[in-house]
Amino acid sequence: MNLDTLLPLELLRPGEWADVAEVTGEATWVSRLAELGLRSGSRLRLLQAGWPCLLQIGGCRLSLRNEQGTQILVRPVAY
Amino acid sequence: MGSDPKRIAALIGNPNTGKTTLFNALSGLRQRVGNYPGVTVETKKGQMCCGGQTFELIDLPGTYSLSPRSPDEMVAVDVILGRQQGEARPDVVISIVDASNLERNLYLTTQVLELGVPVVVALNMIDVATAQGIRIDTERLSRQLGVPVVAIQANKKKGLEALREAICRAASGAALASQESARGTNAAPLATHRPPFPEVFECAIHQLHRELGEDIPEYLLRRLVLDVGGWTEQRLVAQFGEGIRQKAQEVRQRLAQAGCPVPAVEARARYGWIREVTAGCIQRPAQRAVTWTDRIDRVLTHKVWGTLIFLTLMFLVFQAIFTWARPIMKVISDGKDALAELLRGQLPPGPFTALLLDGVLEGVGAVVVFLPQILILFAFLAVLEDCGYMARAAFLMDKLMARCGLSGKSFIPLLSSMACAVPGILATRVIENRRDRLATILVAPLMSCSARLPVYILLIGTFLTGPGFARWLPGLVMFAMYAIGLVLAPLMALVLKRTLLRGQTPVFVLEMPLYKVPSPRLVLRRMLDSGWAFLRRAGTLILASMVVVWALLYFPRGGGPEQPPYDVRIAAMQKELDDLKDQGRAGGVNSPVNEQGRAEGVNSPVNEQGRAGGVNPPVEPGEQGVSPPRLFYQLLEGKEQQINECIAEWKRQSYLGRMGKAIEPAVRPLGWDWKIGMAALASFPAREVVIGTLGIIYSTGKQDSDEIRNAANVADTLLARRMKEARWDDDPTRPVFTIPTALSLMVFFALCCQCASTLAVIWRETHSWRWPAFTFTYMTVLAYLGALVVYQIGRLLGG
Repeated sequence: MNLDTLLPLELLRPGEWADVAEVTGEATWVSRLAELGLRSGSRLRLLQAGWPCLLQIGGCRLSLRNEQGTQILVRPVAY
Repeated sequence: MGSDPKRIAALIGNPNTGKTTLFNALSGLRQRVGNYPGVTVETKKGQMCCGGQTFELIDLPGTYSLSPRSPDEMVAVDVILGRQQGEARPDVVISIVDASNLERNLYLTTQVLELGVPVVVALNMIDVATAQGIRIDTERLSRQLGVPVVAIQANKKKGLEALREAICRAASGAALASQESARGTNAAPLATHRPPFPEVFECAIHQLHRELGEDIPEYLLRRLVLDVGGWTEQRLVAQFGEGIRQKAQEVRQRLAQAGCPVPAVEARARYGWIREVTAGCIQRPAQRAVTWTDRIDRVLTHKVWGTLIFLTLMFLVFQAIFTWARPIMKVISDGKDALAELLRGQLPPGPFTALLLDGVLEGVGAVVVFLPQILILFAFLAVLEDCGYMARAAFLMDKLMARCGLSGKSFIPLLSSMACAVPGILATRVIENRRDRLATILVAPLMSCSARLPVYILLIGTFLTGPGFARWLPGLVMFAMYAIGLVLAPLMALVLKRTLLRGQTPVFVLEMPLYKVPSPRLVLRRMLDSGWAFLRRAGTLILASMVVVWALLYFPRGGGPEQPPYDVRIAAMQKELDDLKDQGRAGGVNSPVNEQGRAEGVNSPVNEQGRAGGVNPPVEPGEQGVSPPRLFYQLLEGKEQQINECIAEWKRQSYLGRMGKAIEPAVRPLGWDWKIGMAALASFPAREVVIGTLGIIYSTGKQDSDEIRNAANVADTLLARRMKEARWDDDPTRPVFTIPTALSLMVFFALCCQCASTLAVIWRETHSWRWPAFTFTYMTVLAYLGALVVYQIGRLLGG
């Protein structure tokens, strides 16, 4: 896999690791996600795909359902 | 130092960091729960002693940040800034952080550092972090962060002495602190450093500060710029006019030009600084260890197994609410009846006694009878919440709930409403999105609660059971009644979310906390808090409405120049009946009417034995002819019948009875006569009243819901027989109750909001009379239309 490609989060497969490259959308939600640790630069692992998905970020797990408007781009990493 | 004014400490932290546990450990038993005006979140207050000083400890609502987006989130900011009315500014803020997830937790801490109050960081769950192989150098962290850091284990009460000491020292003021920092021995409690924001931002904030006056705290100006459309912006615009919004927009543009756009700039500045200050303080294993939480989650969040386990669990909770609460509820209602009986013997008959017994005591009983269900449900909810399961349940149910515009967090409140809408509505507090919460509250009363059950049982048992009906029919109709709520509630939520509560669908994001053993103390406390809140909040309104219905049924008392009022006549007849019974007893006839079965006047319960004896006198097997006891029974029976008819006549001419007659044209299309209309009217404060009112109208004495519920064969009860015999006033050949009428009445009860407690709780939770009024209106309209459609279709099909 080309590790430089940016993917939307929903295309990540369960078990894969990725670095968040960009979170765009309404300011309120971008900052809310940042407070929870989901921001550009943070490393995450997709535990369960689909909406809502289950993510591992740092020491915590987040359940996330993304509605239209907020987009999370990630760069897959090997870990 | 004892003469010092009381010092104040505020406790703040992310959800699931053990904040409540720490609060309980520091403040002991003396706690008060309070609401600030205009917000739904609660703040707790307690007292903490350390170093001979008493602190007032304020437990602020759990939050991930101090970037207020709603009045609820503004509370924490206002309290720490000393802008909350009637609240002095805290002397120290304790910021509790989860050691196993330090960086993210410090985000909130960096915001607290900007508020200009001494801060102490409580590093909680240090044991969990250690188990994961994370090692934290507390002293170094404290030096680099610039505030005291104390490692604690709140659940084991470890490290609390050191924390108390640090709090005390931090609150003792800047003088002492500067001495210490001069000696270089300890960190200053007042933050000397904080996350650096771009120069252009700081300049703009200074400028705004000068322009708007010094009394607006600098922190709020920072929030004005950083939170686009946030609550600070709304509040400052209301105070200073639209111009301020433009100014904020200009600063944002300047920031974007400088390459640090809002909102990314804040996350970048804070997390960047956090990375710097934690550098060298934290050691992590190269590979993250697989924790117990990971293993449990593999099953509990699994799409198939997780869902199955969740459904089983919910079924068990339900079953418990139904079965465990029933005996306690019976004890309460029996106790109420016994007390009424006792008082009735002591007090002279008259309006005052009737008000006290049938209005106030019945009203109090109607409130207290809900308590067991509320306490049991909240005990379960508290256990599930505290052990960390609730977030998993919300995750599992989110997909389903998203289809009707809600989120997974709405599931449990809706499900709880099938037991009782009151605790269900209280349980919506976990939903942080205001529109979602409101939509959930508004549709929760549509779910078929347990109080509707007696109505269903009575009508199904009377009109849809027996010869000529399929065996599976009663079960099917019962299921259909529950299905109405289950289908309509989500549909209604969808309609509300598309119309009245329209707005952008929020991103659903929820933290899955680590699993832990729930603390019994916390569970007990939450249980008692919710019970007390219910009594205090809903109790008064339920009581008031019960008294109103009582009055409408009591007055006018009738009577005139030739006849005394009804209640006096009934009391007199009652006396005759009692004398008769005494004679019987003296004559050696064992009265079938039990001692307690004296039907004293109005609403008094004729007990089961009394009624059974009255209608079906026990005949010895093989007994022939008319024996003396049998004659005596018939005499008693006749007297009792006379009393019941007098009560019925009284009720028919009461104000409520007249209202029933007045609305007959309106309920006729539903297939109801004025008696059913009146019973439905009387049951608006509490739907379970309908059985009792039907009993009064059909002259059977007071009918008890429990009796209908527990009867082996409902169709054999006196009320069922009387209802079958009922005929239209204007056409005595036509029975009132046909299958379409029974169905229309059931559908009406399934959809109507006949519950003052629910409306009272909605009023308390939404802080507005508009939403209960809306709920009442839409549900009544829905119920009327539903009943109309059912009756008319049923009639067409030849019912």
